[in-house]
Amino acid sequence: MGEIPSGFGARDYHFRACLDYIGNVRIRHGLADIALNSYNRHMPTIEISGLSKAYRVYQKKEGLLSAVRGLFGRQYRYVHAVRAIDLTVEQGEFVAFLGPNGAGKTTTLKLLSGVITPTSGSATVMGHIPWRRENAYRRRFALVMGQKNQLWWDLPAQESFRLHQEIYRIEPAAFDRTLNELVDLLTVRPLLQQPVRELSLGERMKMELIAALLHSPDVLFLDEPTIGLDVVAQHSLQGFLRHYQELRQITILLTSHYMKDIAALCRRVVVIAGGRIMYDGSLSGIIDRFSSYKIVTLQWATDHIPGDLARYGEPLESIAPKARLRIRRDVVPEVLAAILANHPVEDVSVEDPPLEQVIAELFSQVDAEAADLVKAEGNL
Amino acid sequence: MSSSAAIHRIPPFTLVARLRTWWIILRISIEERLVYRGEFMLGTLMRFLPLVSQIFLLQAVFNATAPDNSAAGTATSAHSSSTIAGYTYYNFIAYFLLTMVTRAFSSMPTLASGIARSIRDGTIKKYLVQPVDMLGFLLICRVAHKLVYYLVAILPFAFVFYLCRGYFTGGWPPAPEMAAYVASLVMSFLLGYFLDATIGLIGFWFLEVSSLLFVYMLLSYFLSGQMFPLDMLDKFTIVRSITAGDLVRMTPIQYLAYFPATIFLGKIHGAKLLWGLAGELAWLLVMMGICRFAFNRGVRRYSAYGG
Amino acid sequence: MSQLKRYLRVLMVFARNSLIRSMTFRTNFIMECISNLAWVVLNLAFYVLLLSYTQKNGLGSGWTQYPFFVFLATIQFIYSLVEAFLMPNVEEFSELVRSGDLDFALLKPIDTQFLVSLAKFDWSALSNFVFASGLLTFAMIHIDHQPSLGAILLYPFYIACSVAILYSLTIVLAATTVWLGRNQSIYEFWFYITNFSRYPREIYSGPVGAPLQFVFTYLIPILVVVNVPARMLAKPLTTGDWRLAAFALLATAASLAFGRWLFNRAIHSYRSASS
Repeated sequence: MGEIPSGFGARDYHFRACLDYIGNVRIRHGLADIALNSYNRHMPTIEISGLSKAYRVYQKKEGLLSAVRGLFGRQYRYVHAVRAIDLTVEQGEFVAFLGPNGAGKTTTLKLLSGVITPTSGSATVMGHIPWRRENAYRRRFALVMGQKNQLWWDLPAQESFRLHQEIYRIEPAAFDRTLNELVDLLTVRPLLQQPVRELSLGERMKMELIAALLHSPDVLFLDEPTIGLDVVAQHSLQGFLRHYQELRQITILLTSHYMKDIAALCRRVVVIAGGRIMYDGSLSGIIDRFSSYKIVTLQWATDHIPGDLARYGEPLESIAPKARLRIRRDVVPEVLAAILANHPVEDVSVEDPPLEQVIAELFSQVDAEAADLVKAEGNL
Repeated sequence: MSSSAAIHRIPPFTLVARLRTWWIILRISIEERLVYRGEFMLGTLMRFLPLVSQIFLLQAVFNATAPDNSAAGTATSAHSSSTIAGYTYYNFIAYFLLTMVTRAFSSMPTLASGIARSIRDGTIKKYLVQPVDMLGFLLICRVAHKLVYYLVAILPFAFVFYLCRGYFTGGWPPAPEMAAYVASLVMSFLLGYFLDATIGLIGFWFLEVSSLLFVYMLLSYFLSGQMFPLDMLDKFTIVRSITAGDLVRMTPIQYLAYFPATIFLGKIHGAKLLWGLAGELAWLLVMMGICRFAFNRGVRRYSAYGG
Repeated sequence: MSQLKRYLRVLMVFARNSLIRSMTFRTNFIMECISNLAWVVLNLAFYVLLLSYTQKNGLGSGWTQYPFFVFLATIQFIYSLVEAFLMPNVEEFSELVRSGDLDFALLKPIDTQFLVSLAKFDWSALSNFVFASGLLTFAMIHIDHQPSLGAILLYPFYIACSVAILYSLTIVLAATTVWLGRNQSIYEFWFYITNFSRYPREIYSGPVGAPLQFVFTYLIPILVVVNVPARMLAKPLTTGDWRLAAFALLATAASLAFGRWLFNRAIHSYRSASS
């Protein structure tokens, strides 16, 4: 599928010609015009506005009788998985979703994949509304979920790939080329003929990725792809993703728990917690935004450290001749001046707390808020 | 516990202590199962559904064999007079209902496959290590399961039997035969247990018990009398005066459905009845022995392989 | 019709994948073929036994021995196809819903109902199809009635219609698993409902039988499933039979439409497993 050719009049003509040629796109009354108009202005690849998803969670009991009885009224409460999020992602960006369990990261990905429908709000991906589940859209993106398998369990991956080829209507030449590229990049050639159930978790993930990329999607959604993998496999996967993204400039949304994934791959991080976007920017920016402390390390000339350091800040684990203090960042200059004035300090270093810690604190804070919210909302 | 006190104390593995253990197991199993009682009742009621089609089929058959063969319908004269293998139309329906009662006693779902599986994946070790006899333990569990099942199933069964009371033209059997009926039901429960358990224990020697189990299930369905009264096989004479029906009745399988039903229906009296009961008891003792033997041998073999 | 060709090609891959799978578990495959055959043979043996007691009238309403064999063969043709191509997917579907793997089906640029209802085949179930062919041949050789050419051609057509009706029933069952969750009772339900279809329609007579016949012909049309095609070959056809056959066409279309509608509703309210 070639790029849309430039030039106003030519664009009209070529665009319509492309659509006609593809043939499978049902051109509804006026849709082509709308699409044309949207191509006339710049459109981000992913555009989310006020997207919300709330679930009704029922008291569920097993058994047919309970299920039938349940048809006549059940107790339920609402779970707001995603609350009115707004997000814009441009073509070629590699964005990470970071957040605690239940934050809404996976739900957001599922909304963007069209697997579930939202309660309110809108989203478009490459001009398509995901939950319409148009075949034209489904052919252009891929979703990979960590520890979940879509390949046929008892068969070699090769057979599942062949099924993919038919379902996605990939030309044989393109299919062979893409497959070979991916197989070589991920170094899994000897494993192609082995039944998927005999592969290790890391190898299976690689096969899943290949299956997802066979049809050369323009957008890739990755939900915790490295979860459960050993360090070597994680590293290998990260390297592949980075390389592939640089090569193809596709848009990737990645959710992960692991800082290493995110630090290695993404410049832009979106922190989601409690169904809301709490932060959208660079990784280092998180510390500035969320951490109100700095860690100050003081080195004494002698081995004797005064015992009253607690009045300057919170003492942390220290090994003589060094002492570490946690000091609120807005008072660091004054406190430091005071310490230096009163003590024979040889060396000083002022650092940000480790990123993991900042995020862990942020999440626990959010969890506490969420718990309060649930109590407050009760059985809405 | 001082040593002098120990001398005067009863040692742990007496009958009383064992009975108490069984009682606790029984009680817990029952509680566990009562949770799903609504589900059970519906399921039990549904299990009578295939019988409906069979009733209609038999009605059609008997209408077709009626001497006057008038308009299809419920010509009661036809039903009361014509018989197949000694069973009238009403007898047939009553028979099938009664086999369902017997099956409620003698069927042991998942017993054989459960034992085989626990051998295969090693969970049988917990029985071998603990001071509990596995066969006894599983038997008590089954008793619990059945008791709960009866408690819950009594309603749907009673309902169906009440609806179908017209089919029981013989009414209730006289007291001694009723006693024989109850005895045969209890024995069929035990016999069914030991038969199924033995099949499961074959798992000590063969890894894939499922094919054997399937053959057993198939045969028992056919030969136990669930599909049709075994009397129907009496028209095929094998040797001299011994019919195919006689041969089948020599196996223990007939006690799993056919035999008790015939007692209730009054098709078997006096000496034949007593011989039948004796046969059931004999088979029961034999199967107990085989089961126990298979268990002991199997355990010994299992331990020898390190488990 | 490139769309149709494409779906056929995907179907070919499904068939191939299932075959590869069956062949990797070869002993299992053979065991299942044997067990399927064993059930059918025993069933047949029972009916032979029963028929040996009835006199020349057989089961009544013209269902004597050989026409009834035709009936039995028809049951096996239809249900072996259902067991082979449809049932594995019903079981698979409830597992997909429970584990949330249905998500993957929703990602594919292909009709979800197609993907979910035809992905897996159980080739061993076709052993009954082979048996039924033998039984049918045997019965047709001995039967008195000579069916017309039209009836002979309509037989496979109506077998297909019956499979379509049962297909819709499986879709309805699959759709309910989305709402009711995983349930063993669903399969029991299937068994109990379809059990009614394995007998000639005429036996459902009398004060209880007639309403049953009505319900299972016109509301849940399972009684047309085996009866209509079987009649084509087994007995001389009356106008009543032709009317029923025409109704069967309507029932097929209506079932397919209803099944699809219900399935789409179910997918729409699919919530996906939490992660």
